[in-house]
Amino acid sequence: MKQSLIWLSAGLAFLALMLILVPGSGQPSDFSLFLGRFHPLVVHLPIGILLVGGLLELLSRRTSLRGRYDTGILALLYIGSWSSILAVIAGLYLAQGGGYAARELSWHKSMGILVVLFASLAYLYKVWPGLSERWFKHWERRMYGICMGVMLLSVTLTGHLGGVLTHGPDYLTYYLPDGLRQGIGLPKKADLGRLQLEDPAQTTVYEALIAPILESRCVACHNEGVQRGGLRLDTPEFLREGGDNGPVLVAGRAHESELIYRIWLPISSDDHMPPIESPQLSVAEAELMRWWIDVGASFEELLPDAEWSPATQTIVDHMGINEIRTGIFALDTPAPDSLDVVALSDLGLSVTRLAEGEPYLQVRCVNLDACTNTSELQAALRRLSPQIAWLDLGRSEAGDDLLEVISDLPHLTRLHLQQTFVTDAGLVHLNQLEFLEYLNLYGTAVSDSGLTHLRDLSALRSLYLWQTRTTGEGIARLQSVLPDLYINTGLNQTSSLPDSTD
Amino acid sequence: MSLAREAQNAYLEHVTRRHFLKSAGAGLGALAFASLGATAARSPDPLAPRSPHFAPRAKRVIFLHMAGGPSPLELYDYKPVLARLHGQDCPESLLEGKRFAFIRGIPKMLGPQAEFQQHGESGAWVSNHLPHLAKVVDKIAFLKAMHTDEFNHAPAQLLVHSGSPRLGRPSMGSWVTYGLGTENENLPGFVVLLSGGAAPDAGASVYGSGFLPTIYQGVQCRTTGDPVLFLGDPEGMPRNLRRKSIDAINEINRQQHEDVGDPEILTRIAQYEMAFRMQTSVPEAMDITREPAYIHELYGTAPGETAFSNNCLLARRLVERGVRFVQLFHWGWDSHGAGENESLTGGFLKRCQETDRPVAALLQDLEQRGLLEETLVIWGGEFGRTPMLENRTGTDNPFVGRDHHSDVYTMWMAGGGVQGGITHGETDEIGYTAVSGRVHVHDLQATILHLLGFDHLRLTYPFQGRDFRLTDVHGRVVHDVLA
Repeated sequence: MKQSLIWLSAGLAFLALMLILVPGSGQPSDFSLFLGRFHPLVVHLPIGILLVGGLLELLSRRTSLRGRYDTGILALLYIGSWSSILAVIAGLYLAQGGGYAARELSWHKSMGILVVLFASLAYLYKVWPGLSERWFKHWERRMYGICMGVMLLSVTLTGHLGGVLTHGPDYLTYYLPDGLRQGIGLPKKADLGRLQLEDPAQTTVYEALIAPILESRCVACHNEGVQRGGLRLDTPEFLREGGDNGPVLVAGRAHESELIYRIWLPISSDDHMPPIESPQLSVAEAELMRWWIDVGASFEELLPDAEWSPATQTIVDHMGINEIRTGIFALDTPAPDSLDVVALSDLGLSVTRLAEGEPYLQVRCVNLDACTNTSELQAALRRLSPQIAWLDLGRSEAGDDLLEVISDLPHLTRLHLQQTFVTDAGLVHLNQLEFLEYLNLYGTAVSDSGLTHLRDLSALRSLYLWQTRTTGEGIARLQSVLPDLYINTGLNQTSSLPDSTD
Repeated sequence: MSLAREAQNAYLEHVTRRHFLKSAGAGLGALAFASLGATAARSPDPLAPRSPHFAPRAKRVIFLHMAGGPSPLELYDYKPVLARLHGQDCPESLLEGKRFAFIRGIPKMLGPQAEFQQHGESGAWVSNHLPHLAKVVDKIAFLKAMHTDEFNHAPAQLLVHSGSPRLGRPSMGSWVTYGLGTENENLPGFVVLLSGGAAPDAGASVYGSGFLPTIYQGVQCRTTGDPVLFLGDPEGMPRNLRRKSIDAINEINRQQHEDVGDPEILTRIAQYEMAFRMQTSVPEAMDITREPAYIHELYGTAPGETAFSNNCLLARRLVERGVRFVQLFHWGWDSHGAGENESLTGGFLKRCQETDRPVAALLQDLEQRGLLEETLVIWGGEFGRTPMLENRTGTDNPFVGRDHHSDVYTMWMAGGGVQGGITHGETDEIGYTAVSGRVHVHDLQATILHLLGFDHLRLTYPFQGRDFRLTDVHGRVVHDVLA
């Protein structure tokens, strides 16, 4: 027994020595990496052995089994302690190779050492009950149990962190059914590749696409703490600055940029980056990096301004970046109630979603006389007021009384009122439509005084006024308030046609 | 009977041929309905309006197909260098490895048979053959480096409209109607209008529904006689009796559908219903005499005739009434020079005169009604023409003409979601090959579907064991022309 205690102490001392000797960074030798790769091999021994030890201890809490497994538990704790010492030493060598997420790695290390300490302590208390009676008094009876508990907890956590380091954080949950995923706050599996951005229209290409690649593939060895090759890749300033061998970026010329050159080298080359043992850039990531440098390596360009190449277009389409949402699409509008949709359709209107998965509706008065029954129709439209975005009453019997409902359709973007009985009085109801982009009034009795109700429609882009009672003056007044508005007044019967003598 | 025997009988009952077919049929039907939408199962009405993948830029399409392959070198693609080379032998280096429909040996270069000028704020080059169109170039995005895989009419037309040079695929209008349904339940979602004295070379397949249910095929409307053949009731058949007989037939069909689940039965029911409604709605929509005189003046229409101008006016009337896809074919652009009507100095000029004014009128009329920004108008043929004078199989033609050319040609788009006043793509100094901005027919199709709100990769239909789509395994959206 004494002999084993001496051996274990020697092991602990050796570990302490290694902790001092094995440096955290710097270029490791091939031999130490060779030793390091035994870590995943050895590491499962302490996990299994110590867990079995803990289980046996639990079993022997039952009166009938008390004391029966003590010899076995002793042996398991002894072997467990030893194998955990070896696992930690191998792990220290493996970590030298770099390429692991820094925060997780440092936790994994500390927890691993805790495992060694508490496994050894548990062994000591098992061999020598009352070991520390002098200091702990009443607690002494519980010390063994506490050490076992802490040791088992540390084994579990260390093992989990190790898994995160090698397989990535979402390995366990990747195939979790969507319902459960959402229950624990994870995105749906189908949305995993998609970027979740707060405000995509105001996000730079660098922030959205480039920084995450650097973060996951490069920053582990090029950060504030570790700077292989004197290079930091964690901020735009350091990216511009470069490393010991000079700049890594040549804006506009990916093939001359060290960053791309290193990624493109065959993986067998010593200069290839990331190092062979680290997670590599995917083809899509490498292509995004290349494209970003070729189009100028801008840190300021916003996503909507980016000019994608065919390849990057495919990539960002998959990430959902082309769906940058503005206007009503940036709002959080609930999906329409299908009973309300049916009710409106039953009145003879065509009601469809603007697009799959969008809450917004386009409503069209296809049965032209369906728009005469105003009170019922108004009620049905009001029930869908947040969802109606496109409303086409063109060529129908609709008049000013129906337009009352329009002021209750806040998300209207396109409104067709051409060839209806709408007059100036009805246009009053339009003046609050902050998202209205398109308004068609051709063939109505609308005049200049009606146009004054449109002065606040800052989103309005096109207005059609052919065959109305508006005049050049009234139109000019509106145009002066809304200079970007396209106003079409149609053809005079001869204008903009060449002489018809051909 | 032993229990085992009984179990075996019950099992066999399930796997007999009849039961197999029954359940397989229902399965396929269900599959067809489910294939498009992730959001909800497809409505049993095959023509019910449906949503696209994302919010559309264009709600409707008018496709003006100039059958025969109009020469861009006489219309939009101005090549002064070609004029200087006129009459010289074509260098052999340009002929190596090329195949032509008729040219053999060494042909001579043929300079542009037109005068060119720049027009509009965009400064687009348009020839003197299109004086009306020249006034509206600022609404147009020219695709000057279109290319196709086929140099004969029928396969090239099929490629443009169905995405495959061989028969059997659904046409673009069918795909769109399959994807979006029809907005106006009284009119077909996909209407075809023919002019020019002959049907397109590839026949009705260029507007057929291929393997899609036949309800999605293009409905040809005629400008003389009955607009739709066999639509009117025979003499002595009152409308209420027609209604009753359709109700009875549909009831039988419904029972049959519940039994076997074939989607084609739903198609048949929908067709009977649609035909009944069309008996009143089509004559109204197709009656261009209701248009005022200044509109006839604008289009240059001649009511009662089969003319391209009438079809353009009809196209506007149809999109105004909610028809999704209006396909026009105007035949006679095949200017080889083998006969007067087939030459750049004869038939070609006539085609220009027949189409120039109505096309410009269509764009202007759509615009003043507020429809142009929601309606995608596409103009073009199935391929281009050689910068060389055609020497039919080695001997000179009696008239001036050009051979078929698939490497580069011009098409244009205007309206719904397309930038006006731009030119995408460029050809070399003689208009023989593309220098930049090449757009394949499949890319055009992907772009059209994109403007209608579809991801062309996701608009698919399962047939013979795999998902088919309009763009086959190709197609790239031409983002440069989008507004």
